[in-house]
Amino acid sequence: MVELREVFETYEMVSHENLDVRTITMGISLLDCIDPDLDALCEKIHAKIVRMAGRLVEVGDELGTEYGVPVINKRVSVTPIALVGGAACKIPGDFVRIAKTLDQAGKEIGVNFIGGYSALVQKGMTNADRLLIESIPEALACTDCVCSSISLGSTKTGINMDAVRLMGDIVVKAAEATKDRDSIGCAKLVVFCNPPDDNPFMAGAFHGVTESDCVINVGVSGPGVVREALTKVRGESFEVLCETIKKTAFKVTRVGQLFAKEASRRLDVPFGIVDLSLAPTPAVGDSIADIIHEMGMEYAGAPGTTAALAILNDQVKKGGVMASSYVGGLSGAFIPVTEDSSMAEAAAIGALSLEKLEAMTCVCSVGLDMIAIPGDVPATTIAGIIADEMAIGMINQKTTAVRIIPVIGKGVGDTVQFGGLLGDAGIMPVNRYGCADFVNRGGRIPAPIHSFKN
Amino acid sequence: MSRTIVTLVGKDHVGIIATVCNFFAENNINILDIKQTTVQDYINMILIVDTTGYAGSFDELNRGLEGVGEKVGCVIKATHEEIFEMMHRI
Repeated sequence: MVELREVFETYEMVSHENLDVRTITMGISLLDCIDPDLDALCEKIHAKIVRMAGRLVEVGDELGTEYGVPVINKRVSVTPIALVGGAACKIPGDFVRIAKTLDQAGKEIGVNFIGGYSALVQKGMTNADRLLIESIPEALACTDCVCSSISLGSTKTGINMDAVRLMGDIVVKAAEATKDRDSIGCAKLVVFCNPPDDNPFMAGAFHGVTESDCVINVGVSGPGVVREALTKVRGESFEVLCETIKKTAFKVTRVGQLFAKEASRRLDVPFGIVDLSLAPTPAVGDSIADIIHEMGMEYAGAPGTTAALAILNDQVKKGGVMASSYVGGLSGAFIPVTEDSSMAEAAAIGALSLEKLEAMTCVCSVGLDMIAIPGDVPATTIAGIIADEMAIGMINQKTTAVRIIPVIGKGVGDTVQFGGLLGDAGIMPVNRYGCADFVNRGGRIPAPIHSFKN
Repeated sequence: MSRTIVTLVGKDHVGIIATVCNFFAENNINILDIKQTTVQDYINMILIVDTTGYAGSFDELNRGLEGVGEKVGCVIKATHEEIFEMMHRI
């Protein structure tokens, strides 16, 4: 029998600490839609998405009402489009048509994002991969809900530096194509090292080729709940700190597990994974930087921040793993800057630099995320930032990513306003010394050695 | 049986429980348990109810309770019991 205290603890988490289910993401395989005729391909893609995910939003809202925890996002991820469109697309514009088809299908079923405008080029690029990558700026500018992700490296294959260099240019072009909207196109574009096949979070979600035809993945959240729990153990030892995070993560993840099972049952689609992530939003209190502050740092970015984030990331996983039957995705703490108001504040006052964020990505779940930089940063420097982040992922056998936004026409001291979950923030300074001769070399960085771990 | 937890939070005064219980009686909802605490003037209450005999949808139940809440000056919400079992029990 549930106790009064337990019921009101849950009630408080939802009403005051921003507990929510961040996303229910339906992964849909489009491999069976492949057709050499572009019109037929687009028709099949549209039909399959609408058929499989037609009730996704309805079921997500229904669960939110019945269990009292809101489901913020309902999303769809699809098979990397470079694979699906390879036979039909002869020019970048052909891929843009597929992007528009995805956008239209996404809007029809009412999801807020549809991910999978992707290519996996960690070792080499096919002609289709290259065409898709070249189409990204236009595809993101002329669609609203399509998200793109490119895998540029992995621990097994090394880093495809040709693709890294190309993505430096593509990020700048995507920024220019949406310069009238603070270069928002780049907020829907992420590059990865070691990307998971079952990630429910955007912009990086795609439905991996090893997945089944259709699957339900759920991403939980709850930075506000963890922070609130930590306010009750101020000054206590690390043992108490870790136990508190673990117990809280367990409870938060149980909500995700329940929603995943229930959504899977109601939609008659297999349950894939729960992603144990602490994903912040711009809402006050729903912040990873606030947790770091609560752990004892004056501001996120102060010395000690990397250690604090390492603790947080590890304890969230330890608590969450037992709460869910299948865990996957990105699982850990996200550290986006614009999407986390306190992180943005720490960056604005100079407590948090790009270099410190890079160090933090060695221990957090993903990478450099939602960072606005000056619009005049050269493409080669962006390629250098991407290469650094890919190297961290490759060597440390973890997922890393870069979602960076060169805001055209703005510089350090200016601010950007994306609104909604994407938030707003000041433009962060970037090291002005060049790396063009390095990133222009071309070729691949070989896979790392798997022994002599020092 | 379909067990639902109804939470009620608000300023305590005469007739809150009576009004809420009347709503349940009118809608064929059986009350299984009531627990409450009052801190200063405020009441925190949970009612565990069986909604098997209720004809409407869960959304309608919540809207009905919202109406009752407005009448008695409290916030009243219904939630499936399962979420509390999941979060607080291994």
